[in-house]
Amino acid sequence: MSEEAVVELAPNHKVGLALTNPVMPAAGCFGFGMEYGRLVEVETLGAVVVGPITAGPRPGAKPPRTLPLPSFQGGTEGVLLHTGLANAGAAAVVHRYARAWAHSPVPVIVHVAGTSPGETASCCQRLSGVEAVAGIELGLPNTADPDDVTATVRAARTAASQPLIVRLPLTSAAALCEAAIEAGADALTVAAPPRGTVWHAASGRFVTGRLYGRFVHPLALHALCRVAELAPVPLIGCGGIHSVEDGLAFLRAGATAIQVSGALWRDPACLARIARSLAPEAGSW
Amino acid sequence: MVQTDVLVTDADQSGPFVRVTFSAPQIAPALAPGRFVLADLENYLRIPLFPARLGAEGFDVLVPPDHPAAALQPRARVDLIGPLGQGFEVPAAARRLLLVADTPHLPVLLPLTRQKPSETRFSGKNLVSFSVALLLSAPTAAELYPIQLLPTALEVHAVTTDGSAGHGGSALDLFPDLVRWADCVCIAGEPATYPALANIIREVRVGPGPHFAQALVVPPMACGVGACQGCAVPVAHGTRLACTDGPVFDLLELR
Repeated sequence: MSEEAVVELAPNHKVGLALTNPVMPAAGCFGFGMEYGRLVEVETLGAVVVGPITAGPRPGAKPPRTLPLPSFQGGTEGVLLHTGLANAGAAAVVHRYARAWAHSPVPVIVHVAGTSPGETASCCQRLSGVEAVAGIELGLPNTADPDDVTATVRAARTAASQPLIVRLPLTSAAALCEAAIEAGADALTVAAPPRGTVWHAASGRFVTGRLYGRFVHPLALHALCRVAELAPVPLIGCGGIHSVEDGLAFLRAGATAIQVSGALWRDPACLARIARSLAPEAGSW
Repeated sequence: MVQTDVLVTDADQSGPFVRVTFSAPQIAPALAPGRFVLADLENYLRIPLFPARLGAEGFDVLVPPDHPAAALQPRARVDLIGPLGQGFEVPAAARRLLLVADTPHLPVLLPLTRQKPSETRFSGKNLVSFSVALLLSAPTAAELYPIQLLPTALEVHAVTTDGSAGHGGSALDLFPDLVRWADCVCIAGEPATYPALANIIREVRVGPGPHFAQALVVPPMACGVGACQGCAVPVAHGTRLACTDGPVFDLLELR
């Protein structure tokens, strides 16, 4: 770990994944790193997490993809998002963005949607030789059991040379964390956004997707507390972080770093604000 | 594209809408009809606002009384991100611009009602005439945007479903003749009405060029910059994102 780094996400990896700040955007919220332009002061962050990507191109889900969740007071308190992993495929994404990632002031972590061991291996192989990719975060299906986790993480571990972070499903994080570590995870993200279903009257159908909102925070924090008792690897807290206090709660619960998800959409400037407050010199934690 | 705190300088009633005026010198110069800002109005998701009047230092929006922005008072401050998206593009060669809107969506098109002939519309020493017509619909006369608030040079074709003002029936009744007249059509309405409008254009125009008919589509947006992939709009060859590729699309490409 360099002198400037305050966080090491892969202490047992030959290269490691050292960050100068514990704050990063979550996968699925930050695009491929270019979309926000100067709305986000990337240099204040510890890393950026881009993607998700899959081995081949995916057109994504049929609209509607974004369903605001109404609050009791009127207005909205969160959102359900169902993109269907829309992306151009690993090869096209690397071709399009690797040069820009190489100039990123902070490490770039690419999120791979681990839909199957075979696709995961293919995706990780494509990323393995890419110097601009400092780490890989592997997403797991919500329905994954320990055997699935073992197979998918092993496939990624074998194919990828970079440090491997495994993002656990929220509802089964504690049950799956040991399988992920035994299969080769360097660190764990706790957790993926929970899934929910909403009736969309205009199209006359149910839409299932990931839920974002402040209400996710206690759920994710609970999951992280349980995983922290079981997992001897660095943990990244993720879920419902909308303020410095929200982020601090994860760090106090045992997280080494945090990811900001839906809050970034409403307030892109919050990323830098949280990062500055949680910088080592700020003395917040 | 910036995220900036702007000042509300005025708020008053304008017909069925509340007009809110923002002083936003960092955003206004690059705003255009159909482009938008995302406003933090105390909802989880930001709310898109479209300019109804554009100025060098600021812009107006017109929103219905139950819209979150309608509660804004002068001297309030609002966090905006913008300008965002791709707006309406009236070709320099256009001479006859047709605007089509129902009353709730009319504010998005209002900047185009004041469209003036540009320098490229001079032919030799003579100014080439440039006409703008508006096909405006509402269920009843009471719900129709007041015609007297529109520019006097604008040719207005009003339609009410119950016949209480203007033509009685549907905007589709008048649309074919107006499409024959126009050389550019800009539409803001309920997307469910767009297929019928597209079919009429295909029937009465032979080979309309790209951008002949442009239509506004505004699904819910999370990020506004293309990062979340959440505002997909089906088009002829897949999907496009309303926030970056739109929210103004070629009507004939929409699916």
